Amino acid sequence: MHPSDKSKDQLLFTGYDPGTFYDELIGPNGEPRPFAAAMYEKLASMPLEVFEERRKLADLSYLVQGITFTVYSDGRGTERLFPFDLCPRIIPHSEWDLIERGLAQRVTALNLFLQDIYGQQRVLKDNVVPRNLVFSCKHFRREMVGLSVPRDIYVHISGIDLVRDSRSGQYLVLEDNARSPSGISYVLENRLVMRKTFPRAFEVVEVMPVDHYPAELAQILRSISPRTGDRPVIVLLTPGLYNSAYFEHCFLAQEMGIELVEGRDLVVVDDVVYMKTIRGLTRVDVIYRRVDDDFLDPLAFRTDSLVGVPGLLNAYRAGNIALANAVGTGVADDKAIYAYVPDFIKYYLGEDPILHNVQTYLCSKPDHLSYVLDHLSELVVKAVGESGGYGMLMGPSADKKTIEDFRARLLADPRNYIAQPVIPLSRVPSFDEATGAMSPRHVDLRPYCLYDGQKVTIVPGGLTRVALQRGSLVVNSSQGGGSKDTWVLRGDE
Amino acid sequence: MLSRIADSLFWIGRYMERADNTARILDVNYHMLLEQPPDTYKLRWDPLIAVTGERARFYKLHEEASAQTAFDFLGFSEENPNSISQCIVNARENARTIRDRISRELWEDINSLYIKVRRLGDNNESLSRFCESVKRGGHRFHGVCDATLARDEGWHFVQAGCVLERAEMTARILDVHYHQLLEGPQILNEARSHLWMAVLKSVAAFEFYKRQYSQIEPTKVAELLLLDARHPRSVRFNMAALQSSLYAISGSVPGSYANEAERLTGKIHERLAYDSIEEIFDSGLHNFLTELQHSCRSIGEQITRAYFHYAVVA
Repeated sequence: MHPSDKSKDQLLFTGYDPGTFYDELIGPNGEPRPFAAAMYEKLASMPLEVFEERRKLADLSYLVQGITFTVYSDGRGTERLFPFDLCPRIIPHSEWDLIERGLAQRVTALNLFLQDIYGQQRVLKDNVVPRNLVFSCKHFRREMVGLSVPRDIYVHISGIDLVRDSRSGQYLVLEDNARSPSGISYVLENRLVMRKTFPRAFEVVEVMPVDHYPAELAQILRSISPRTGDRPVIVLLTPGLYNSAYFEHCFLAQEMGIELVEGRDLVVVDDVVYMKTIRGLTRVDVIYRRVDDDFLDPLAFRTDSLVGVPGLLNAYRAGNIALANAVGTGVADDKAIYAYVPDFIKYYLGEDPILHNVQTYLCSKPDHLSYVLDHLSELVVKAVGESGGYGMLMGPSADKKTIEDFRARLLADPRNYIAQPVIPLSRVPSFDEATGAMSPRHVDLRPYCLYDGQKVTIVPGGLTRVALQRGSLVVNSSQGGGSKDTWVLRGDE
Repeated sequence: MLSRIADSLFWIGRYMERADNTARILDVNYHMLLEQPPDTYKLRWDPLIAVTGERARFYKLHEEASAQTAFDFLGFSEENPNSISQCIVNARENARTIRDRISRELWEDINSLYIKVRRLGDNNESLSRFCESVKRGGHRFHGVCDATLARDEGWHFVQAGCVLERAEMTARILDVHYHQLLEGPQILNEARSHLWMAVLKSVAAFEFYKRQYSQIEPTKVAELLLLDARHPRSVRFNMAALQSSLYAISGSVPGSYANEAERLTGKIHERLAYDSIEEIFDSGLHNFLTELQHSCRSIGEQITRAYFHYAVVA
């Protein structure tokens, strides 16, 4: 519909068609699912002008807070908003319960796997995971073998990407992020903005809170301090202002009441880490680092790193500093290792995986490789060590040249690639500016999991990313993606 | 507190104050000149550029100082690191790096001012409306600091930045105008008192002056701007405030000093407290003001040395 066709009495859900994909809020008959009915009624009866006004209010709130990312194309640095869609994704409690149990199981197994491969390596000796696959992983850190980490926790914080397959209606794990996943600040800010924008909705819909995340994280960070004493010094290490997640680093440091530091604020003397304060050097016990392994310590890893701390790894090896996440966790989110997660869940826990993987072809296996090469135009191909949508081929939408380019890359370095079928992602109603009405858009879900050595804590929901362009399956913010608030209900209705 | 954070807090204070002062002198000069004969009009924009200490840079970019070129240069120029918009960009950049250490309200306030100033720049807003926004922004900044920041050492670094900058700016405003009025080209007598009134207005001291002295006299204006203990823009007032912030940071007691910045501040404050305006005029106002500005710069350097700068640790 053309914008000028908007009739006066058109409402947000007039003409809404959930189509052939699974719609998270609307059933196939076009009626809202029972648990979404209350919010649906609210939006469906809202005059367009009122909705537009609230959208402006929400945008302004992000702008004033400076929750933006910077585009430098015009020379002076234009800051853009990460688009936020006001229609929430709603998850009934029983569904969340399953997700939560599945994630807890997976995160526990990922930790046991890391503890094992940097320890006794039983999983390799028992041929559950191929030895070569682990040792050839770009993020495997030889320096960590034989080193014990505080309370045996490797992955304190993880973000597991889930998608719902429209065909089966099942949630699948698309990707594990075990290094330093970002996005939690959007989860908390989105909720804040929703509460400001639709305060009344929270009176009728019982949504589970999310704002205890920083307190839970702080508790874990305190627990891994190598020094006894009730007030360990904890810092968040950021690469600095120009990192795209800088807002999040500030936000978390502030929420936890810990110091936000850059590499240049820290110094290592005799294997002890200090920060430079106006009263001299102060000893640091725990670093929540948002700097990749490669850049952490120019003496141990990349010598050209300007954001790291020289000598940090020695202090870590000497047991004088705790790092979260531990060094070397990237091996657990390698996309080829991913294919073995269901196997080692079984191996370590003796349980069947609660959440399944997306079917995955490992190009390191000759039979898989030949299948992938024959079906490149149907598959998604991913480089194993990358994240954030880099090094990826979307077969169905790629041109011939790109496909041939990937064919050459696959043949040259098969270990570095995996392939998966394109998953028809579920959708959620989202506001379409062109038509002035709701329209279904594809989404994924990234819950954030905290592991304290015994149990996994997950704030209900997580970041729902949405592909705001019609038909698009790509939810990354660099490619027109936005986000939504995610509501986990206290009940099922 | 991290040295880097203290450094940023100090500079947020300085940049905000610099933007505010620049807007004030720009605005007052503009309004005053609307009522002046055209030949004096021309003369009066040059000293304004001089006040900001950016004369050399200005004449590289513009041939003549006029209302428009001065406004462009002091208001928006990206070539001028001390233009109002650059000061606000810098204050905001500093605030952004340490937004976890300041209140949400303060960050949002500085960020809103930044957004507003950019918008005004893009819309070719009139000089007086632009300056009004910046001045209001300055007042709000102080209000938000006052109402939302804990009175810890961070607060004192912001304060130190503000009051040091304000002391230096007041000294500079007085210096440049005094020089122009008494030793510069001929200006009509009746115009003189208008100009002095403009100076007072630019530092928000006109009403206060009128209550104290009634007649406009250059020495009295200088007395108020230098030696008054009550007006928040006098140099003495700001030196006293700087001294108490520095003491609060170091824990020094009055009469002593823990570093060179405190010693210099104490020394200037003593002079301002005990010198009379006649003594200052006898030994030359210009010399006195030059020395004062020099000391302000030294104090800034010494604060950096005492708290922000780390020699390489082996």
